[in-house]
Amino acid sequence: MKKLIGLGSLGTAGAAAVFALSLNAAPVAAQEATLYKNPQCGCCESYADYLRENGFTVEVKPTHDLAQISRDAGIPEDFQGCHTTFLGDYVVSGHVPIDVVKKLLDERPDIAGLTLPGMPLGSPGMGGAKQEPFKIYTVEEGVNPTVYAVE
Amino acid sequence: MTLNRLISRRQVLRTGAAFTAMSALSPARVAMAGPTEDPFVLRAAAGQAALRPAPYGPTNVWGYNGSVPGPEIRVRQGDRIRVLARNGLDEGTTVHWHGIRTPNAMDGVPFLTQDPIPVGGDLLYEFDAPDAGTFWYHPHQRSSEQVGRGLYGPLIVEEANPIRVDRDLTWMLDDWRMTGDGQIATDFGSRHDAAHGGRIGNSVTINGQIPERIAVRSGERIRLRLVNAANARIFGLDFGGLAPVVVALDGQPVAPHAPDGDVVLVGPAMRVDLVIDMTGKPGESVTVTDVFYRDLEYRLVDLAYEPDRLRDAVPDWSMALPPNPLAEPDMQAAKRHRIVFNGGMMGQMMMGGGMGSMLEQMREGNMWFINGEAATGHMMDPLLVLPQGTSHVLEMDNRTAWHHPMHLHGHSFRVIARNGQPTRHREWQDTVLMAPEERVEIAFVADNPGDWMFHCHILEHQAAGMMGVIRVDSGTTKT
Repeated sequence: MKKLIGLGSLGTAGAAAVFALSLNAAPVAAQEATLYKNPQCGCCESYADYLRENGFTVEVKPTHDLAQISRDAGIPEDFQGCHTTFLGDYVVSGHVPIDVVKKLLDERPDIAGLTLPGMPLGSPGMGGAKQEPFKIYTVEEGVNPTVYAVE
Repeated sequence: MTLNRLISRRQVLRTGAAFTAMSALSPARVAMAGPTEDPFVLRAAAGQAALRPAPYGPTNVWGYNGSVPGPEIRVRQGDRIRVLARNGLDEGTTVHWHGIRTPNAMDGVPFLTQDPIPVGGDLLYEFDAPDAGTFWYHPHQRSSEQVGRGLYGPLIVEEANPIRVDRDLTWMLDDWRMTGDGQIATDFGSRHDAAHGGRIGNSVTINGQIPERIAVRSGERIRLRLVNAANARIFGLDFGGLAPVVVALDGQPVAPHAPDGDVVLVGPAMRVDLVIDMTGKPGESVTVTDVFYRDLEYRLVDLAYEPDRLRDAVPDWSMALPPNPLAEPDMQAAKRHRIVFNGGMMGQMMMGGGMGSMLEQMREGNMWFINGEAATGHMMDPLLVLPQGTSHVLEMDNRTAWHHPMHLHGHSFRVIARNGQPTRHREWQDTVLMAPEERVEIAFVADNPGDWMFHCHILEHQAAGMMGVIRVDSGTTKT
């Protein structure tokens, strides 16, 4: 366990360094994101637009291998969102609200990323009326997801 | 003459044929023995298949008689088909004769029409082939995995007087989800697949291979029988500069016509018979592209012209197939039935809120609903009970964001309207592809007594609830 944390910290330190560098080089550069989605899913496009509205540059890539991509990113099947976004070193699965994404990028915790399982009504890009608070979980290799934020 | 001798002689003949590149691509063909001789033995078992070209190794599959696809069963219209199905799998199985209007007891639906064939057991399927056309066979037991691992084969019923062509080809299309080491990914039953477009894979095969090119001849006329055996992938085939003509859908003749937008649409379980004149020059090649999923188009195969020319001009031979003996629905007397489909990701039900019981069931893995019911097995109360011999229209309303190829067993039906507009060809089908949010009307005579499956042929949708039973009541059927 200790060893795992140590390795993870290294990765985070490296990412932080890159982040600082990019800040120096181009202060207005938008954060880049790659969003993998089912080719026939419309809500995922809406989520991409939502990220764009919040200052991200988003590349949308349709794929039939979404389940595999999510699995490879360490997201257990029961916790997968309906699309998978890569933001620098982090993976963000599903319709995670922007405040939580920003919190992740600010705090830079030692995890692989976040997931909002399923497609909860009222979440960004989904439309509909919110039925219940959104529970956003951590994604960590070999570790059960825990609640990272409730929105 | 025994069947074995028949097969081996045919195989020898094929090996010596001019188009060796094709013979490797064609399923082995078998003919039926006479009614007094031994039935044809079809054995389902695990094995290996060279799905990928060298230098890649073989893939572990489940297949019929050791091959993927299984042998091409080929009979004449009106012939009796007699197949002894043997189960060499480690689980129960059945064989469903997709599109053939069999008696109910021969339909191969576990529990509804028969007990599954136990491990090591066998069952004799015996029925007539009333309609000429392109059909296929596959298990109906845990079909997402059994079909997904390779259990399927073509069943061709020849017309007494077929249309004239130079070659009659069958392409059984399949789509495999392969892992990096060339084996079948084991994530059958994934919830993501069930709630979205089904188990769509990453490796498409024609007759169990991934061919680079297929040899054709300049001036040649080919009848190409397309069969979509994939669990979930929809094909939209663009034949480049060629002008394919659709002559049959799901085995049933249709007025010869160019496909809409020049793209040949083949949903899961559907068949399309094309007549294609090879109008290119010797030495040229033309690419067949699958353009169905936007931004995920790919080259399916190249058709490569041989150096010699078969003929100079396009032949003027008729492409119209003789009709099959289907009962014409009485549109004046037909009773109308409304069937609403719900469920899946992004459905109206999800987005609109409400209908809480369905949302609750979706959390349990029952993703799809027919008139509010998600099936949890093949046995259920019938959705409709139709007196035998009466005409019916099903008004199907797809309130989901996904395509659904809806298959009715035991009958062919006319597709009479889409979104309220009459169809141009009133085509006969046994599997009709509904687009997202589309309304489709079908008409048929309920003339085959028994309990018949009516289900989505995206096999993951079927497993997650999208099936129902339509009972054709002869008056003596127990209720």
